Amino acid sequence: MESTERLVRTWMASRRDEEITETVSNINNGSTTLLNVVKVLGEYLTSEEDQLRTSGVEFLSSILSKCFPEKLNRQSVRVLVSFYCSKMEDWDTIIPSLQGLAHLTTLPTCTSDDVPKIIDSIFERVKMKNLVQSVRFHVFTIIHNIVVRHRDVLKSMVSDFVERYVVLVEGEKDPRNLLIAFAIARVIVVEFDVAKSVESIFNITFCYFPITFRPPPNDPYGITTDDLRQALRRVLSATPLFGTLAIPLFLEKLTAGSPVTKRDTLETMAICIPVYGSSIARTNARKLWNALKLEVFQPVDQQTEEQALKTTQDLVKTIYSNSTQADEDIQGLAKDACEECLMILREPEKSQAKHAINVLCAFMSTTPSVSRYTVTQLIPYLMKQFIKPDDASVRPSVLLLVSDVLAAAREAMSHLHESELVEDTQNVGTILTSFKDELTSVIISGLKIPSCRQPAVACLLGLVSISDFLGEEELGFIVHNVNEILSFGDDVDEDDSNVALKLLSTIAVSAPRHIKEQVLPQLFSTLPDYAPSKEAITERVKYWRTLTALTILCRQPELFEILIIRLTAKLDLLCFRQALLSSDEAALEPDAAYAHSILQTIYKVLSAKIDEEHHDVPKYIDILVPRLFNIFVYSTILSTERYVIGIEPRLIITGGQIIALVVQSLPISKKEEYLQTVFSAYFDGNVKQIAAGQQAIPSDYVFCPFDASASSVTKSLVVLLSSATTVLQKEILMPVSDLNVFLNQILDWSMTKADQEHQREGIWKMIASILNKRIEGASSFLSDLLSHFWYTQIANGSAALSTRRQAIRAWGWMTKALLVRSHPSCAQFTDRLFDLFVDEELNWHAAKTFGDIVGVDKVLTKRNYAVIKILHTQRFVNSVLSRLTSGAKTSTNSHEQLAHLVALSSLISQIPRNLYARELPSLIPLLIRGLGLPDYNIRCQVIETLLAVAEEGSSDENVIPEHAPSLVTTMLKNSTVREMPSPNVRITALKYLGVLPKVVRYDILHPLKATVIRELAIALDDPKRLVRKEAVEARTSWFKFHG
Amino acid sequence: MPGEIFNPNPTVFRTSGKPSSDQYTTDPNSLWLEEDDGRHNGIVFDDDEVDPIDRDEIFDLIRYIKDPEHPGVNLEELRVVSAPQCRIAGNFVTIEFTPTVPHCGMSTLIGLSIRVRLLRSLPNRFKVDIFVQPGSHQSEHAVNKQLNDKERVAAALENLALVKTLEDCLDTS
Repeated sequence: MESTERLVRTWMASRRDEEITETVSNINNGSTTLLNVVKVLGEYLTSEEDQLRTSGVEFLSSILSKCFPEKLNRQSVRVLVSFYCSKMEDWDTIIPSLQGLAHLTTLPTCTSDDVPKIIDSIFERVKMKNLVQSVRFHVFTIIHNIVVRHRDVLKSMVSDFVERYVVLVEGEKDPRNLLIAFAIARVIVVEFDVAKSVESIFNITFCYFPITFRPPPNDPYGITTDDLRQALRRVLSATPLFGTLAIPLFLEKLTAGSPVTKRDTLETMAICIPVYGSSIARTNARKLWNALKLEVFQPVDQQTEEQALKTTQDLVKTIYSNSTQADEDIQGLAKDACEECLMILREPEKSQAKHAINVLCAFMSTTPSVSRYTVTQLIPYLMKQFIKPDDASVRPSVLLLVSDVLAAAREAMSHLHESELVEDTQNVGTILTSFKDELTSVIISGLKIPSCRQPAVACLLGLVSISDFLGEEELGFIVHNVNEILSFGDDVDEDDSNVALKLLSTIAVSAPRHIKEQVLPQLFSTLPDYAPSKEAITERVKYWRTLTALTILCRQPELFEILIIRLTAKLDLLCFRQALLSSDEAALEPDAAYAHSILQTIYKVLSAKIDEEHHDVPKYIDILVPRLFNIFVYSTILSTERYVIGIEPRLIITGGQIIALVVQSLPISKKEEYLQTVFSAYFDGNVKQIAAGQQAIPSDYVFCPFDASASSVTKSLVVLLSSATTVLQKEILMPVSDLNVFLNQILDWSMTKADQEHQREGIWKMIASILNKRIEGASSFLSDLLSHFWYTQIANGSAALSTRRQAIRAWGWMTKALLVRSHPSCAQFTDRLFDLFVDEELNWHAAKTFGDIVGVDKVLTKRNYAVIKILHTQRFVNSVLSRLTSGAKTSTNSHEQLAHLVALSSLISQIPRNLYARELPSLIPLLIRGLGLPDYNIRCQVIETLLAVAEEGSSDENVIPEHAPSLVTTMLKNSTVREMPSPNVRITALKYLGVLPKVVRYDILHPLKATVIRELAIALDDPKRLVRKEAVEARTSWFKFHG
Repeated sequence: MPGEIFNPNPTVFRTSGKPSSDQYTTDPNSLWLEEDDGRHNGIVFDDDEVDPIDRDEIFDLIRYIKDPEHPGVNLEELRVVSAPQCRIAGNFVTIEFTPTVPHCGMSTLIGLSIRVRLLRSLPNRFKVDIFVQPGSHQSEHAVNKQLNDKERVAAALENLALVKTLEDCLDTS
């Protein structure tokens, strides 16, 4: 008791939260009671002094809101309720009283008996206009609590309650309160008998429509415009009684509003009209349609048009929701609107026709009767238009409209549930089926007219994608006709054949047979046996296009198999071409390029198949891979006598990519087995196990690519070994006796015996992959690298420069392997690179390695089962970024400083922006310095980095403006052909100039505007078209830039 | 929006657009297909080769200008402009355009938007003449005069409301 008294007194003086908390905990743990508190408070509660009374009630309310509900029994709640109600008479205590009631009404011990008293006193004593938002919030909370918990009591006092409530809440403006008010209003409208007070409720809710509230920036309450909109819509759509009142209001807002208001109104109408019911919709149909029509035919923007169409659909659905009329007597809106649109379609080539067809297509997804009606009217009408002999020029437009209708039909069908499909024998699909033959023949005849081809193919695409619409034979017929477009006659343009391909590839999924029988033979027959000569550009483009077509079409297992058989046969023929007059490299180059594009085709289709998770890829380890090996191995044998194209590195590399994809798809046990075979081929000479095909490898042939004596072309085949080994899971062991020795051997081979770039690259990728996956088994290799390899091959000043540079590249790959798995020794490897920054001959190479080791590669990937730790790049960047920045700023040695700058530029350009966003203020000046580096590639990368910064950066707006003038000057300098010979740098610089006005405030750039516009005129006359294009974009964006 | 609509329902033509970029991004003059090795090396340019500004490039500049009456449709789709109607000889460029209806009050505005677009996008060395296709407009002479008179064009560009409308038409992004 005493402590309670003390706490109360202290609080009166201090008004600190601590006392309240302490009192509450005392009550909750039973050391005092609520009664005690009230007793102690007594003198304040009844004090003559206004201030003290207010404080007394406030303290009580604060205590109540925090103590356990079970501390308040029925009795005390009743007393408290009457107490608060009486206190509401007193102006000084009304605020804390409402606060107390707001809590009491949430308690189960507050019963329906208390409700009339509370409600009455609120209605009598509270004058909302005199209260601030937070207090009004309490009032709304109290009413909301009562509405939720004691609805029945309120219902019994209904007419009284609703009218008085309306008076109470009128004029509320605060979004927080409105959210509650809307919730209350919805309950009232839905649950209470409001027939008599509809108008007054209408007035206090519809006055908020449309919501124009914009939340202030950083609004702590987080109420969005959309929250309010949704809440209000729930009220507006709560009762059909609103209908007659609401529709004129909607129409008014629709005609007068801004685009946002229009959309809001349309969306609200779409929700409300179904509730208001069919009779109201029918009476207002004309008026509504006239308003909606305007939004469709003269749309302010596309979104509004789409919404207007959707609302129209809902209107039609509402009107015809329970109509059982037969199709012939569809009356009213649907019929009128349909006729109106068909009228417009009399001129199918005009701009309005597009809108009209949109309306009709929308009708197809409404009620079954209206959909039926629309289709039966529309399809014959359009076909008549097409056949009409007097105006053939409109045919393409008509077919385009048909394709829209078919797309809409598919859309409509996809929304029907299966049960509906079965029950409703008269759905859009069946109606369409009755026109199937006529439609198909019209479309096919369109295919024969060049100008109609694309629309006709679009129509066919529509037909094909309606499920179960066309039968096998009809598909065959379509394929037959479309095939003619693909036959690359001289009058067929590329666009036509592209759309035709898309159609055929769609058909290939469901009916590969037709493609196999009709299309593929023709395509393969257009592929020449040998490449056309270098000058025959059209011939070459033709075979490229054929290969593209095959790439698109041959993904299905059945078709892919044929593709592989045919293409490998072609390759065999091509690679071992007999009886040539001259067989030097230059003469055979077209053949090599042709073989390369064939391999590329196989690779692309395989990649697509793997993306689509086809299951037939593994079997090609027996069909495709041995033949590839055979081609390459046999080529090396032949090459001792004459040049053969099979030794061309580009072919071998692509072959390796194909082999990698196939091996990657094998199950793990098969992989192990295959790996054994490959190793035994490469290291023990058992090449026959991996190679089989047309050309028999002589039995006395010794295959030993790793041997010092091996020819250069044989050595190149290690690329294939590398491809097959980089796609294995880490569980698979290399079939060697000692991994460390093996790694050392092949690294040594790459440094001393390999004689071409792709050979070394292949080995390094292999080492990187093994190191990444099996680092536990390679610890001595790792320490050898640091203690031996580094000092003899890289840091060794007496070694040949080219060797040292190669060794750095190898070092980069190995560092990358460690980095990706966030291995601790990665730091040691990068430290070494820093050591080279002072070396005049190697600093540039060492610096650029930083970009390589964080860059994206195709070897150390998830698909190749590399061990990848999350955030590995981030860790690495965190560890080196500040060192690079400070080095670039403060190094005294100019080489060292330059190297830091190069490393920084290369690194930054390879990593996502968020990794260095925090450092931007210090990075930007360095990057601008990087723009002065003599290496154009780096310049280009730096500008691209700056572009990325500019395009994404909203949070660092302060960074770019500060440097805007120097950025503008540097970019202008890099944009003219006189100062910058590299077109790529010019293009990126101009891109950057075009972006600047979008990210920097006008007042900062204003002084530069005239200069930029003048200087850009020079770039407008650039010798390269692509540069000019960017110059135009950039200049336009500066012209548009106004304060 | 201006009160009177001169052609509420113009014919919209299908346009071929630019040749869509082929799957194989290789220049037909090259023997080899480019490999998509995921690395971005930019485009490889032949440094000595000069692409002169040609008719198609000029047409590309103006084809996407929006029609002032129908903001959703561009001049090419309405066949107001077409590639054969653009001519270039040395430093002289001649553009001819065809209003959709002979009484089109928007012709001057369309011509002006073409003029402004080219002023901004062609090097200064070019002299540009813009004409209405002979016989396609009832006050052909007046429109031509307005469009090719430096002073009048400059005066028109002083009018901020007009410039705003022009910017809307030129906003092709």
